[in-house]
Amino acid sequence: MRNFTYAAPRNVAEAVRLAGQPGARFIAGGTDLLNLMRDGAQSHGAIIDINGLALGDIVQRNGVIRIGALARMSDVAAHPAVRRSLPVVSEALLNSASPQVRNMAAVGGNVLQRTRCGYFRDSGTTCNKKTPGTGCPALEGENRGHAILGGSDHCLAVHPSDLAVALLAVDAVVLTDRRRFPFADLHVVPGTTPDQETVLGHGELITGFEIPVTPLAARSRYLKLRDRATFEFAVVSVAAALAMRGNTVRDVRLTFGGVATKPWRSPEAEDALRGKPLTTTTITEAGRALVRGAVTRDHNAFKVDLVQRALDGLLRDLGGAR
Amino acid sequence: MTVGQPVERVDGRAKVTGAARYAADRTLPGMLYCHLVMGTIARGRVTAVDTTAARAVPGVVEVFTHENAPRLTSEQHFMPLQGNQIHYNGQIVAITVATTLEQAQEAAELVRVTYAPETPKAVIADALAEVYLPANQEVIVGDPAAGLAAAEVTVKQNYSSPPHHHNPIEPHATVAQWDGDRLTVHETTQGVVNAQRTFATAFAIPQTNVRVLAPYLGGGFGCKSPVWPHSLLNAAIARQLGRPAKMVLARSQMYSIVSHRAEFWQQLTLGAKRDGTLTALVHVSTQQLSRTSENMYSHSISSRMLYACPNIHTRQQGVRLDVPTSRFMRSPQMASHFGLETALDELSYELGVDPVELRRRNYTDVNPTTGERFSSRFLLECYNLGADAFGWSRRNPKPGSTKDGHEFVGWGMATEAHDHSASPSSAMVRMAADGTVLSQTATQDIGTGTYTVFTQVVAEALGVPLNQVKVELADTNFPAAALSAGSGTIASVTGAVNAAASAVRTAVVQLAVSNPASPLHGLPAEQIITQHGYLFSPDRSRRESYRAVMARHGSPVQNTSTMTNARGYSTGAVFVEVRVDPRYGRVRVTRGVGAYDAGRVMNRKTARSQMIGGFTWGIGNALMEHTVLDRRTARVVNPNLSTYLLAVNADVPDIQAIFVDKPDPVSTALGARGFGETPITGVPAAIGNAIFHATGRRIRDLPFTQDKLLRELLTQ
Ligand SMILES: Cc1cc2nc3c(=O)[nH]c(=O)nc-3n(C[C@H](O)[C@H](O)[C@H](O)COP(=O)(O)OP(=O)(O)OC[C@H]3O[C@@H](n4cnc5c(N)ncnc54)[C@H](O)[C@@H]3O)c2cc1C
Ligand code: SF4
Repeated sequence: MRNFTYAAPRNVAEAVRLAGQPGARFIAGGTDLLNLMRDGAQSHGAIIDINGLALGDIVQRNGVIRIGALARMSDVAAHPAVRRSLPVVSEALLNSASPQVRNMAAVGGNVLQRTRCGYFRDSGTTCNKKTPGTGCPALEGENRGHAILGGSDHCLAVHPSDLAVALLAVDAVVLTDRRRFPFADLHVVPGTTPDQETVLGHGELITGFEIPVTPLAARSRYLKLRDRATFEFAVVSVAAALAMRGNTVRDVRLTFGGVATKPWRSPEAEDALRGKPLTTTTITEAGRALVRGAVTRDHNAFKVDLVQRALDGLLRDLGGAR
Repeated sequence: MTVGQPVERVDGRAKVTGAARYAADRTLPGMLYCHLVMGTIARGRVTAVDTTAARAVPGVVEVFTHENAPRLTSEQHFMPLQGNQIHYNGQIVAITVATTLEQAQEAAELVRVTYAPETPKAVIADALAEVYLPANQEVIVGDPAAGLAAAEVTVKQNYSSPPHHHNPIEPHATVAQWDGDRLTVHETTQGVVNAQRTFATAFAIPQTNVRVLAPYLGGGFGCKSPVWPHSLLNAAIARQLGRPAKMVLARSQMYSIVSHRAEFWQQLTLGAKRDGTLTALVHVSTQQLSRTSENMYSHSISSRMLYACPNIHTRQQGVRLDVPTSRFMRSPQMASHFGLETALDELSYELGVDPVELRRRNYTDVNPTTGERFSSRFLLECYNLGADAFGWSRRNPKPGSTKDGHEFVGWGMATEAHDHSASPSSAMVRMAADGTVLSQTATQDIGTGTYTVFTQVVAEALGVPLNQVKVELADTNFPAAALSAGSGTIASVTGAVNAAASAVRTAVVQLAVSNPASPLHGLPAEQIITQHGYLFSPDRSRRESYRAVMARHGSPVQNTSTMTNARGYSTGAVFVEVRVDPRYGRVRVTRGVGAYDAGRVMNRKTARSQMIGGFTWGIGNALMEHTVLDRRTARVVNPNLSTYLLAVNADVPDIQAIFVDKPDPVSTALGARGFGETPITGVPAAIGNAIFHATGRRIRDLPFTQDKLLRELLTQ
């Protein structure tokens, strides 16, 4: 690890000012940042410790749940308002990492964690995300874990956050020191600039998330499939929120993890269900719509099937399809 | 009686409170920190190393490359930094030395290495034309061709398993300090005596000039049995720079310089009569070898030792690839055992014979390869005990016959077997004038329970309470004893510990009966009973404490004994239940029962821990564990514990361990045999067999991940 400077600002303005220096990085729980620093996957200069900022609250007011960026994963998962009104958020968090990591890690850091692509995390390997223009060894390499959606010829890395998939399904809004915008706009696909993962400017601080409390969000669930029972990132995951009117799907959100380069929402899959009854036929159609644009590589083609199976299983559990 | 009891670990408290000091915990005055720079190509040459930026980091004392590194040779291993050749990815290409760890690490990142790379070969599939048979790797018993011709049923199948890395939780660490030409090393080693020899040879100094200590080890599993080149380099650097030096490996570095289990391909051909008796067993395996060594570490021992079969052929082929040299890994027999026990399961379905019954019908009391009789063997009892505890008789043999909700339920089993090593070992036992007892021997406790078991052995031999006994291990100043590898620690060293303790007892009893001041004076020594810290007359009417005898004697009583033991073979049977969710290809192991013949059980708790550990690792091996190599670069893609998956608690069901617990009559270890590696050998096959029973689908390539299972389920 290279040497760095350290500062612990007391308020948001100071934090943002310090973060303007080149190479500056915020540190929240440090559960990802420190690994990236040790692995040499990301350059760093000044480390700005934001844990002294008052951004840890979780409050419900006027039909909106506001989660501070520094709220710990474990606290958010256990919060009664979250569990009641946003079950998918709680479930996604409880399916993330381990209790120890969840006690350390903050939700702001979580949605900005970086990919687990083994090439990216290996300082001895080239990678477009790490060093633009050096090539992507995953394209023809070990890509079992890589994306089938949203990839490019420059990068196929999966966005690893479970929470982000859930926040996308409940129409969250991102709050930063300078603006607010839909969570759906936070992450970007790699295209030709895989080093660019979000729309945040350098030194822009996420202060929290706002999530409207709706009947749709209250009927939401998360299904995560992986190679061991727990303490692993998703091979594929699905977040679904479903509002029914009788037999008919009144509204639906379908978002996916493990399969895409960013937290992935599929309007096509949602359209295949909205206003229709929840049947084997419509669920199958939704799954097909989801993977219509999928691009597979040597080792990840199984995800095309697996993600449809996950969607099918989750919708049946959630909606009682017949 | 304390031997056999489930005594708590005597070192447990020190470990959980942090009082136990491991090699990496050693910090010496003036110590330098060494950090490794690992190469990024698998084959070719280093053409230049630029150390300018690294040397400019404050605190950096030296940067070693192949051009200026201390000259060293190793009999056992390829020694890096002696030339510019690269033989595997992740080879040591430079070492930074600084006054703090952080400085050494920062400097390591700044070393710039330029290579002339060549195209490597990483996996067996890419070098099939280069498969060959190294010397002495073929065993033929009887007439296998005739045996196959006489078979009424034949099963011929291919199986494969990936490379694995040992991943003990404690990374390798070494701290070297020179005093003139005397060297002290705190080393993460499974064998201090072996390490002492290696250091002495490398530096051409007498073995007695080297002291190696490893009082605590956070697991080894084989990757800490040899002294690796990095430790020799660290000691050489300490000598050259005239200061103590420390080197601790990062987790990722443990994926290239401390060995692994080789990728393994195998073909099993079983010929049998209709009743299931084997007529031929042909086992052809291929494992990856390195460019620098043709040593093999995965052996088809089960095929040669486990079942009655008159015609056996094992052929252990290799293929040389641009990968590091592999090594024994708990258990080195499991790769080949997976093939054998899966093939037997396949045969059982071909024949319509229950898998347990098929194994019973091929049971043998004699080693089929040598014709020698096993000293004791209760494997049939293991089948019975295990099957009863599991409820095997209720099994519907038809695959896919049991469903519970979405899940198919399957039951599978396998025999477990591993032979253990035994090497001559010595131990010292001394009773001090205050009656307390110290035992010292230069074997190790690598996390398995040696401290605890030897405390029990000494306490029982003397007849004193456990808390009166202190055991010290893993210091070459102690009497030489066995390497903790090949499941051999208890089997090798217990006899010497017991003999030394018994000799001390005899001497103290003699002190009592021969002294008129003792209440036991004049009694025949051989009739004295020793218990609870006292010496009793045969009718227990008179007694005197050890403490009193020793106080009167005024000086310690000590004995050092040496003992040899025979190698042995511990076997068992493991039964598992799995649930397979066909929607997602997801497998859960929901029940496990193992029954074992390990000779006498010295401590039911530590033995059970070995079984649970083996079973748990077996789950990981079956369902997830594998090292992923990039085929183009021969570089490990998952060198960390977040992507190299091992079973976690949530993957592990309730596990039941049953022991026959009958002493092996030839074992000098109070009837105990080595056991540590036995209870992992059969687990992957048992799980695969259970998956077949659940679904009717057979996967022959480890691990059984969702993608493979889905592929099988989709091709119904
Ligand atoms: C072993 C392991 C297993 C894991 N498994 C999972 C899993 O299954 N699912 C999952 O979703 N995650 C998993 N994770 C990832 C974990 O959830 C993240 O590391 C964690 O959420 C990051 O939060 P943090 O507070 O530690 O962030 P940090 O490491 O402190 O920061 C992460 C990044 O976010 C930036 N940052 C932090 N806060 C802010 C802010 N307020 N504004 C702007 N930038 C900010 C930092 O500069 C840094 O770039 C795992 C991690 C580990 C170590
Ligand atoms: S997939 Fe992306 S992160 Fe992975 S190696 Fe390619 S460019 Fe790098």
